Amino acid sequence: MHKKKTIWQFPWKYKESFTIAIALLITGFAIEYFIGKNNIWLPAWPTNLIIIVAFWAYFIFLDRYVKHSMINWLSSTYAAISAISVFTVLILLMGFIIQTDKGTPSFISRIGLTHVISSWPYLITSMYLMIILGFTITRRFFPLRIKNLAFFLNHGGLWLVIAAASLGSADSWKLSMVLNEGEQTNIAGDSRNRNLFEMPFKLELLDFDIEEFPPNLGLLSIKTGKLIIEKGDKLIEVEVGYEDKVGDWNIIVETYYPSAVVDGDKYVVSELMGSVHAVFVVAENLLSGEKRSGWVTNGSMMYSPEYLILDNDHSIVMTIPTPKKYSSQIKVFYPNGDIEDVFIEVNKPARILDWVIYQVGYDEKMGKWSKSSIIEIVRDPWLPVVYVGIFMILAGSLYLVWMGRTKN
Amino acid sequence: MTWLEYPIYVYLTSSLWIAGLLLLWIPKTYRFHLLADILVIGGIISLGYFLTALWISLERPPFRTLAETRLWYSMFLSVIGLIIYYRWKLRWMLVYTLLLSILFLFINYLNPDTFDKTLMPALQSPWFVPHVVVYIIAYALLAVSSLIGIKGLVIMRMKKQITGTINLADNIVYIGFAFLTFGLLFGALWAKEAWGNYWTWDPKETWAFLTWMVYLLYIHFRVRKRMNVNTALWVLSLSFVILLICWFGVNYLPSTQSSVHVYSS
Repeated sequence: MHKKKTIWQFPWKYKESFTIAIALLITGFAIEYFIGKNNIWLPAWPTNLIIIVAFWAYFIFLDRYVKHSMINWLSSTYAAISAISVFTVLILLMGFIIQTDKGTPSFISRIGLTHVISSWPYLITSMYLMIILGFTITRRFFPLRIKNLAFFLNHGGLWLVIAAASLGSADSWKLSMVLNEGEQTNIAGDSRNRNLFEMPFKLELLDFDIEEFPPNLGLLSIKTGKLIIEKGDKLIEVEVGYEDKVGDWNIIVETYYPSAVVDGDKYVVSELMGSVHAVFVVAENLLSGEKRSGWVTNGSMMYSPEYLILDNDHSIVMTIPTPKKYSSQIKVFYPNGDIEDVFIEVNKPARILDWVIYQVGYDEKMGKWSKSSIIEIVRDPWLPVVYVGIFMILAGSLYLVWMGRTKN
Repeated sequence: MTWLEYPIYVYLTSSLWIAGLLLLWIPKTYRFHLLADILVIGGIISLGYFLTALWISLERPPFRTLAETRLWYSMFLSVIGLIIYYRWKLRWMLVYTLLLSILFLFINYLNPDTFDKTLMPALQSPWFVPHVVVYIIAYALLAVSSLIGIKGLVIMRMKKQITGTINLADNIVYIGFAFLTFGLLFGALWAKEAWGNYWTWDPKETWAFLTWMVYLLYIHFRVRKRMNVNTALWVLSLSFVILLICWFGVNYLPSTQSSVHVYSS
């Protein structure tokens, strides 16, 4: 006969695991509420490495030399499920609540739910997850077996990614720089605190370039302020000779200048600053046979856009062209006197010393005549560790695809 | 090819699939079943043709808008349904996946996109296609696993043998979860390339992470096979709700004011 075990009697199962996990979450909320926010300080190099090493010494020591049911529990599936569950619940709350602290603090913001990732409950539940994950990995490590390879890749990779991303964040830098054509600068700003830093290198913007998607024409209803378009159809393309029926009107594109300026009552080709996309349109009403024609443009910071008014409800307008790609040609002056030209584009960053520079923006008021480029410069010494973790998980996942869930 | 021609392909694909499914219900005759297979594959080819032609005329990968992702979803779901049907001889699986595919084809029929060639610079990356494709494959597999989960719950209610069903669910979840992981990590690697951070807790990322966590939870519930099957099946069935919030719901949540992932206008 075996007696039904009471709570807190080993081995611990769901009841104990969830009690502990929920207690930790509540403790996190309480600390956040009473001690306040923004006082979590993540250690930088080398303290973060020491903490990671200390963690593993602790996992291995306890697992190897302390024979206690508590240690068995720490690497149990029950503990793992409880840790995944509370962490998921916390992130679920984060998924529903807007993550900004504005206005007077409410109860929700006091317990950290408006800034979850920098809150105590997040710190505590993620530590719980890391500790249980650590013990689980250690447990399978002795004795080492090849059949556990996928297990190590997945669990070890995850541990590395979380550790490097969280504990390594104090060593990472993300600054932004505004580069103007013909000016050398080494000043970068930190977007949050508005602190300025001097970089070890100087940058000069040689050229900033934007390529745009061609604009479209559309039939606008003045009453509703909306474009008239059949579901699934396309807008009128700006191509000479393009003809399309929209509403009661047949529209023909007669002339198209991708870059033009106004000259009296017409547009002429010009590359001058502020030039616009200009289209000469002929529209014929299919019911009355009435004809209208005129120039339609998208406008710029120098010229206002032109419409073609057809009747008291309809006019033809041009959409604002959206950027296809934008890029910067930059001259780099290294501290040792070397000079190098680098090219960056969205999705194509460049490396300078141990920094990576990214194209993020430009002077949007000036549009394609922007003489300045906004870049971000990032330094992340823990990145290789994160990548090792990511590739371990990718390899482990490949194994999952290959094997599926085979029988134990 | 534009969305204006889309209805033809919806009707063609759906009628081929429905005809195929009806033939499968005729008692075992090899010839009828072969014809059924041909009809189902014909439907997939018709949909595949529309996708390819749309891709060519858009001059960009058709992975940007929700309607475009729904098309791929129908495509992969039907292919996965067919593979599972062949591999495990599960006729009901083919029925479910094809009907779900048709449902998604009709959602697009009611809400077609405006033909739009533009693709913002951030999306112009070699990561774009693999990131979306592996995600859509994962979503298709996980939809299948939730169907199995619901079926499992019904079987439990009827007090019948559950082993075969839950083992199948496990297999599909493992493969689907692996693809989900690929999607998540490809996204992280791409994000690093595009704006210097591999993870920023953007609302879509938050929900993608949640989706990953709930399936992780199911997998851990199933580590020991004799653990509570009922709870595991509930987790599996409800996980798909999180997945759907991540895919569509995020666009409507108040917490998603400025997400880099909301691309449809």
